Order: sequence, then structure tokens, then C-alpha cells
Amino acid sequence: MAMSLCLAATVIGIVWLFLILFSLVWNGVPHLSLSTFIEQTPPPGEQDGGLANAIFGTLLMTVIGVGIGAPIGILAGTYLAEYGRYEKLSPTVRFINDILLSAPSIIIGLFIYGAVVVPMKHFSALAGSLALAVIVIPVVVRTTEDMLSLVPNTLREAASALGLPRAHVVWHVSYRAARSGIITGVLLAVARIAGETAPLLFTAFSNNFWSSNLLKPMASLPATINTFINTPDTNMKQLAWTGALLITVAVLTLNIAARALSNSKHDK
Amino acid sequence: MTEKISVRNLKFFYGATLALKGISIPLYANKVTAFIGPSGCGKSTLLRVLNRMYDLYPGQRAEGEVIFDGKNILEPGQDLNLLRARVGMVFQKPTPFPMTIYENIAFGLKLYENLSKSELDGRVEDALKRAALWTEVKDKLGANGLSLSGGQQQRLCIARTVAIRPEVILFDEPCSALDPISTAKIEELIDELKHDYTIAIVTHNMQQAARVSERTAFMYLGELIEFGETSKIFTAPSDPRTQDYITGRFG
Amino acid sequence: MSVSEHRVSLLAQSAADRAKVLVSMATGDRIFSTVTRVCAYGVLLLLAGIMLSLVIGAWPAIQAFGLEFLVTRRWAPQLDEPVLGALAPIYGTLLTSFIAMIIAVPFGLGVAIFLTELCPIPLRRPIRVAIELLAGVPSIIYGMWGFFVLGPFLAQHVEPAIVWAVQDIPVLNTIFGAEVISNISLFNASLILAIMILPFITAIAVDVFGTVPPVLKESAYGIGCTTWEVVKNVVIPFTRVGLVGGIMLALGRALGETMAVTFIIGNSFQIDGSIFSPGTTISAAIASEFAESSDVHRAALMYLGLLLFILTFIVLAAARLMLARLDKRAGA
Repeated sequence: MAMSLCLAATVIGIVWLFLILFSLVWNGVPHLSLSTFIEQTPPPGEQDGGLANAIFGTLLMTVIGVGIGAPIGILAGTYLAEYGRYEKLSPTVRFINDILLSAPSIIIGLFIYGAVVVPMKHFSALAGSLALAVIVIPVVVRTTEDMLSLVPNTLREAASALGLPRAHVVWHVSYRAARSGIITGVLLAVARIAGETAPLLFTAFSNNFWSSNLLKPMASLPATINTFINTPDTNMKQLAWTGALLITVAVLTLNIAARALSNSKHDK
Repeated sequence: MTEKISVRNLKFFYGATLALKGISIPLYANKVTAFIGPSGCGKSTLLRVLNRMYDLYPGQRAEGEVIFDGKNILEPGQDLNLLRARVGMVFQKPTPFPMTIYENIAFGLKLYENLSKSELDGRVEDALKRAALWTEVKDKLGANGLSLSGGQQQRLCIARTVAIRPEVILFDEPCSALDPISTAKIEELIDELKHDYTIAIVTHNMQQAARVSERTAFMYLGELIEFGETSKIFTAPSDPRTQDYITGRFG
Repeated sequence: MSVSEHRVSLLAQSAADRAKVLVSMATGDRIFSTVTRVCAYGVLLLLAGIMLSLVIGAWPAIQAFGLEFLVTRRWAPQLDEPVLGALAPIYGTLLTSFIAMIIAVPFGLGVAIFLTELCPIPLRRPIRVAIELLAGVPSIIYGMWGFFVLGPFLAQHVEPAIVWAVQDIPVLNTIFGAEVISNISLFNASLILAIMILPFITAIAVDVFGTVPPVLKESAYGIGCTTWEVVKNVVIPFTRVGLVGGIMLALGRALGETMAVTFIIGNSFQIDGSIFSPGTTISAAIASEFAESSDVHRAALMYLGLLLFILTFIVLAAARLMLARLDKRAGA
């Protein structure tokens, strides 16, 4: 009896996934066209338009966010797994990192608002990227440390036994052995920030035109969806669905890619 | 006979636990010294002092003297990496790096010495020949080191160690993960290598100690019970505990 | 020169070269080690920075309202002397998370038990992957789906029936009461939250169940226990601490979730005891009002953020400590 309930729960759980995906495809696909990718977000009341500036903004800010956050995260993870593995402060760093990993992302938005937007006196794509970087760091720290910890100590000893300094042991042996795992972590971090909305609302803000200026507000897909959902304008609502479809497909693809990468490693 | 390494009154601690209780023993140049004894007797610990491998971990410390070419390597301020480049080590389990066979050997060399491509190729070939692996891998140097069999992997590790020209090679139960044929090859190899290197080998296998070494040390509970010529240790041990161990009464 | 003399000179030469190389490499090693250390300690600075920035931003509101803020029901930023209190968002945050947990925990554990004990092996991986993918879907997608699909569906087909069924039962007719049933309500937000954290709970529970040594389960099956008995008497007791830790991790996530609830909760600062009424949560209030706020209103939103951070910090810290305890036992 209890076991049939478990089965029922699983079926319902899977059904949700398909319901959500179905709604996205049903509402998002009909309006997907070339203009989605080359036209800019429309003002209310107009027909057509696209999401080009929002797509560009998401790509740019995600790339910068990962570009800043991933190296810091990898280095910090390296410290926890290699140099600082037995240091007294490391458990604290690990603990705090785990908490930041699950901290509400809107808090990160408020943090960057206070730390970057207020001093600069205006919203900017740079602030948005920094907020995303702050979200990337704990994800990458965690996966990097986990993956490096899987590298057997005998391998480190063997490299040290050749007289290699620790930095070379890390670069040539540990990183090499953990490479696909670390890349997986970075991909998961990309997937995580690509759909983040809350931290962008008061950092990058949004706009309705093409901008590549890092010091100015910049549109992003999630922030645009957020704005368009709340309008009575049908055209904008349809664009919101299309944007939601794009972002979901992108995030799912990244997740699947990350999974495939880590599996191909495990099979060896 | 020159003493390449002299261990004098060596004590070793894991935290507060005393694992070596004042060991004194010489390692003669160009000879094979075997360390035997039951598990936990401290033979591997002793080996890991000789290249200060224990420094990788916290809470482990050694007291006493280990004189290597006239210098005490336990003194502070040693360049441990230089020491380890001079005192190579081969481990219980084969530990090929996750790279090609060629790179496994070349990568240490490239860091230490400024070699041309042809010099590097020559050194790699030389190392693989010394490890009796050349004929088996010469056509697949670009293959991953992990694709080799266990015995081949272990010889690759020996080649890697030999390539950077150490003076001493430490073998920590190098055959415990290998089949008898691979074991025989490694033993032959150790016999070859002793002409150029000073060798210490830890082994669980008493026949192996008898086959490859000139000197044998029997250790028990962190103490050196008996040390002497291998033939004497195995035929006429002076300590009853050695007698018990080599006749298989305990351990 | 004899062969062995040649060798000795080669050795000496290479040893000298090597010493030089090693000295230069040691410098690189020190630099690299320092850089990694700085990055690791940077994680601690990040936490300090977040706290500091929230406190500074919230300071005007902290000065104006003090701890009264926590128990003040009124939220009137438009007044000349704004009166701002956190009670309604705190109420909404705790209520929605509570309802979401009530729904998602049994569901999530059920799915996890199915996956680890009952599911035919070939199906395990695909189902697990599907559930984990569901956990990766951005929260704004859930929010949007709730706003356009789930909310209208519930308002038309489900909630009227419940309201009608309990209209004469005391207490319940308050909890499930509503004058007007709209697409937006605390309950709708809770349900979306539940759907969102369900895969999260499942994924953690599957991991936690994985720490049960197979020999324990096998010996229980060996003496003739049914699957349910094994789960009840072996798996759950063995993993209790870890499960609670995992559930609290999910709770931490539910408490701070923003985009999934903002659209469908209504952003209304009222507390009327009904879960079919609109309400707000801390994060929804921040998300909806921050951009248009100024002065003490903005500081009050920062203050809300600070409260949320402290709340989630405590929940997450407790969760991590419990999970660490399980790891230790599984490792031992």
C-alpha cells in the first residue's frame, strides 16, 4: 500500500515535468522565429519584435559572470582540496561556502546593489555580471573540491616523489585527473545563472534597446520575461513564453551536457 | 662499502603514536636492502622517511638523523623537492599519471631540464629500456598510460622514476598488486637497476626479499630486530622472532 | 673518463641544474599557493561583505523601526511618515514554506523510496535524471507557469470546491475561506514552491538513502522483511539525521525563493488567516517593490533582506551540520 503511494508520487512528479515542458512548447514555439533572435524587445502596444537584446545581455553577463566566478571558485576549491586540506580554517570556509551555495539569490542581488550599484550611482551590466559571479563561486568551489578530493592521494604522492612542487602536482596531475569533473561544475554553474532573475532585477536592471555598454543597464532574458509577464500586452506575453522556452532549453541542454561529460569520465 | 644513507636512532610519530622506536640502519650504495616484517611493523613508514613523503600530511614527524651523502635530511630548511628528485619512489599500486605513456616520462624531465625534442625522445627511450618496457610500448607511446596492464603500468612508473636520474630508488611493495609473471619481470629489473642506483625495497613476500636483496632488515612493532646479509637472515637468523617470522609462524 | 666517473659528473651537473630549476619552481609554488588561499578566504569575505552591505543598506530602517519592525503588521510606504512592518511578509514566508514542505516532503520521500527500492533498475536512471532536470529549471519558469497555467486552473476548478465544502465548518472556513477566488493566493504560491522543491528533496533523499550499507538492507531482506518494512525499520532510521538535514536544505531554498512566488502571491500585506487570500513573502516584497522604492522604504526592504538572510543562514547551517553528521557516520 505504502509502496503504491511511492509509485503514485513518482508518476505525479514526472507528470509535472511534462506539464511544464508541454506548456512551454505549446505557448513558446508558435511565436519562435528568426525575428526572435534579430529584433529587439518591443514597447507596449506594438506587434512583433524579438528578444535579441535580451539574449545578447544574458549571454554577455553569463560569460562575464562565469569568467570572473569560475577561476576564483576553482582556485578556492583547489585550496580546500590541496594546500589547505588539513588547515584549521578550511572546515569553516567549506561550511560558509555550503551556506552561500544555497543562500537566496535575491540576497546576492541586494548585496551587489549595496556594494556596486550604490557607489556607481546607477544600474549596470557589470553589476549584474558580478551578482552572477557571486552565485557561480560557491557552486564551483564545491564541485572543484569534490572532484579534486576524488583524485587518489597515491597519484599526488607519486608526483611529489618525482620532486615536483605542489603547484606542479596540482596543475599537471590533480587538474588533469579531475578535469572533466571541474568542467562539469562550471557547466552546472552556467546553467544555474543563465536563468537567474532575482539577482539581476536591481543590478543590471533591464532596458528595451540594444546595449553592449557594461556600465549601463542591460536587458537579460529572465528580467525581460519578468517584465513582460506583468503586462496586459498579449504580444509581450507571447514573447515572454518564447523567452521562457529558450531559457529552459538552454538550461536543460547545459545540464544534460554536464551530465554526459561526467558520465563519459566515469565509464572509463 | 659506502653507506649511501645512514639512518641513526630514527623515531617517528603519527600524532602522539610512536611508530618507529629508534631505528639505526645503513643503506649501502649499489646494493638492494630489503625490509620485511608483519603489517604495521613500520617498514613502509621508514621508507617514507627516506624521501620525507610524510611531510605531505599533518601530524607526522620524525626525530633522529638520516644522513644522505653527508647531510641530515631531517634538518629543517631542506629542499624537499630536490631530495625527492634524488630519492625516487615506486609505490604499491601502479600510479600512472592520467596522460600518455610518453608524457608520463617526459613531463618530469621537461620541468627539470631544458632538453631538445630529440634529447627528450632519447631520454624517454632510455628510461623505457631501463624499465624493460620499450619493446612493448614503442609503437604506442601516444596511448594513455592507464591503458597498460598492471605490470606494464608498474614498469612505466619505474621508468618515470629512472628518467629523472635519482641516486636512490625506494620500492614500497612494488609487486603486491601484480601477477607472478609481472612480479618476476620487476624483480629482474631491480637486479639490473642496482648497478646504477641504491635500492631499498619493502616487501611482504619473503621469497622476494631473498631473491632480490643483498641485505635484509627484519622489523617488528616499530623496532629493527635484525639486520644483516640476506643469506644469513634467511638461513641462520640470530633472533628467535626473526626465526618465527621467516618460518611463517606469525605475520 | 670511465663510464661510472662520467655518470657521476653527469649526476653532479644535473643535480646542480635541478636545484636551480627547483628554486624557481618553488617561487611559483608559493605564489600559486597564496593565490588559492586568498580565493578560499575570499569566500569568508563574501559572507562578511553580504552581511555588511545588508546592514548598511538597512540602517535607516533599523534606526527608524528597531525590532518593532518584526511585529508591525502595517506596511504603508506611501505615507509622509512611512510605517513599515515585516510581520506580513514574515507570515507569508513562513506559511508558504510550511505548506510547501507539507506537500513536497512526503512526495519527495515517496519518489526517493520508489527510486531506491522499487523501481526496475533500467528505469532508475532515466527517472532520476528527469527529476534532477526538473530541479535545474529556472525558478522564473515555475513562477510563470504558476501564473498562467496552474493559478487559473486552481481558481476555476479546485479552490471553489474546497471553499464550498468547508463553508460551515469553523476554523477550516477561515483557513480555506475566500470572498473572491483569484488566480493569486498564498496557497498557489505554496503549491508552486512545493513543485519546485520536490525534485530537490528527491535528489537529496536518493543520495542520503545511498549511504545505507547494502549489507544492512540485505540482511533485513534476508530475514524476510518486506520492502516497506526495510524502508521503515532500516533505511529511514539509519538516515534520519541526513533526511532532516536534506529537508532543511529544501526549506532554506523555499524560504528564500523569489521568482516562483512573486507573480502568484499578490504582493498584498494583509494577514487574514486564509490561505486562499493574496499575501506576500519577504523575497516577493523585495522583488516587487525594490526598484520603485526610495529612502526609508528601500532601507526597510534591505532590512527584510537582512532578516531573510539571517533566517536562511540558521536553517541552512543546521541542515549542513546534520548532513555532515550523516557523512561522518557513513564514512566511519
